[in-house]
Amino acid sequence: MQKKETSEKLATLFGLKIGNISGQLEETGRAFFCADTMLMDEDEVADLSSEFVNLISGLLSAKEPAKRTIPQFHALEIFFSELAHRMLMRGGQVEDVVRYAQQLQYSLIAALERDSGVVFTQSRSVLLYFAQLFDELIMAIFHTYLGEREKTLKAQEMELRETSTPITEIWDGVLTLPIIGTLDSSRTMLVMEALLNRIAKDHARAVVMDLTGVRNIDSQVSHHLIQMVRAVQLMGADAIITGIHPEIARALVSLNIDLSGVTTRASLSDGLKEAFSRMGIQVSQKAG
Amino acid sequence: MAISGMHLTRIGKGNFLLEPLRSMNIADQGRLMQEVVAQVRQGQGVRLYYDLNGLPVIDPVYYDWLSNLARTCRIVNIEMICINMEPTAAFTLSSFLSGKPEFATALAVPD
Repeated sequence: MQKKETSEKLATLFGLKIGNISGQLEETGRAFFCADTMLMDEDEVADLSSEFVNLISGLLSAKEPAKRTIPQFHALEIFFSELAHRMLMRGGQVEDVVRYAQQLQYSLIAALERDSGVVFTQSRSVLLYFAQLFDELIMAIFHTYLGEREKTLKAQEMELRETSTPITEIWDGVLTLPIIGTLDSSRTMLVMEALLNRIAKDHARAVVMDLTGVRNIDSQVSHHLIQMVRAVQLMGADAIITGIHPEIARALVSLNIDLSGVTTRASLSDGLKEAFSRMGIQVSQKAG
Repeated sequence: MAISGMHLTRIGKGNFLLEPLRSMNIADQGRLMQEVVAQVRQGQGVRLYYDLNGLPVIDPVYYDWLSNLARTCRIVNIEMICINMEPTAAFTLSSFLSGKPEFATALAVPD
């Protein structure tokens, strides 16, 4: 008997003609986005509440409101995803959006109760329906948050990689590549790709790779390094490696890496002198 | 004498430029090598520039063809120099090459 009653309330909910309750939901939005955080102005909160009411009305009046594959549900997911994206872009916290969604759930049930006169808060099936619905929507918020975080981390990683391997044309046709930090396989591949493209673009005739800032090297990376030198030579440019630390030299020997076809110099300045001399460039001090 | 699948042009004293076409069939490399060497020798060439422009990948099969041509040229005292190698081609070739290639490389034909 109890079950029948609650199911009836759920049916009543699905058949409900929702009136203008957006005004009642605005307070929730204002509390989360206007008060301390100042993430939205009041007009924006009013638009947000009105859009939410339209979307939830669409869902509740759908043929199968409990299904997660219907477009009305996807529209709600997109609404919360976009809200999360917008708030994160404005410097908001994911917790604000999640708490807003949780609070919105209670405000919505209360508003529907006031609007229809049906006591939805006493119905377990109605509460369960909304709890499951909002759980899914909160998942959408987290999904957006994680996506944004991943994007930011990737962008930061790329930026760090680009700034840690700056390829500079120090003279017409002479490129320098100071490598700083730990060389791993993926970074070596990125450096190689950037370097080869730069050689083709600038028609570089010599590349000086300075390893002064590299302290560790393993077998795989040393092979990549040799591959990089070989690829540079294949493109018709001279490759000069400078600044090899004694630890790296010892590692290369113990790894049986053949550097016989590679020009090495002690320091970057020696490497540049070698590159200039190969190109027939003479740098001299001005007389007088 | 025209060679099918490539353009072979004299570019100054002793220098020849070989531009392969898409229709070049390296399966028939014996005949191609013979015709290239014959034509360069006829023109008293000492240097053959092989233009790799537009070739995105050099796989072991294509590398074999280049190596064989370079070796054939060397026998008759012609130096083969590969020019305009694409970055992607240099990358793939360097990944399986264990030593120095049979041919020399340059960015382009020197001015």
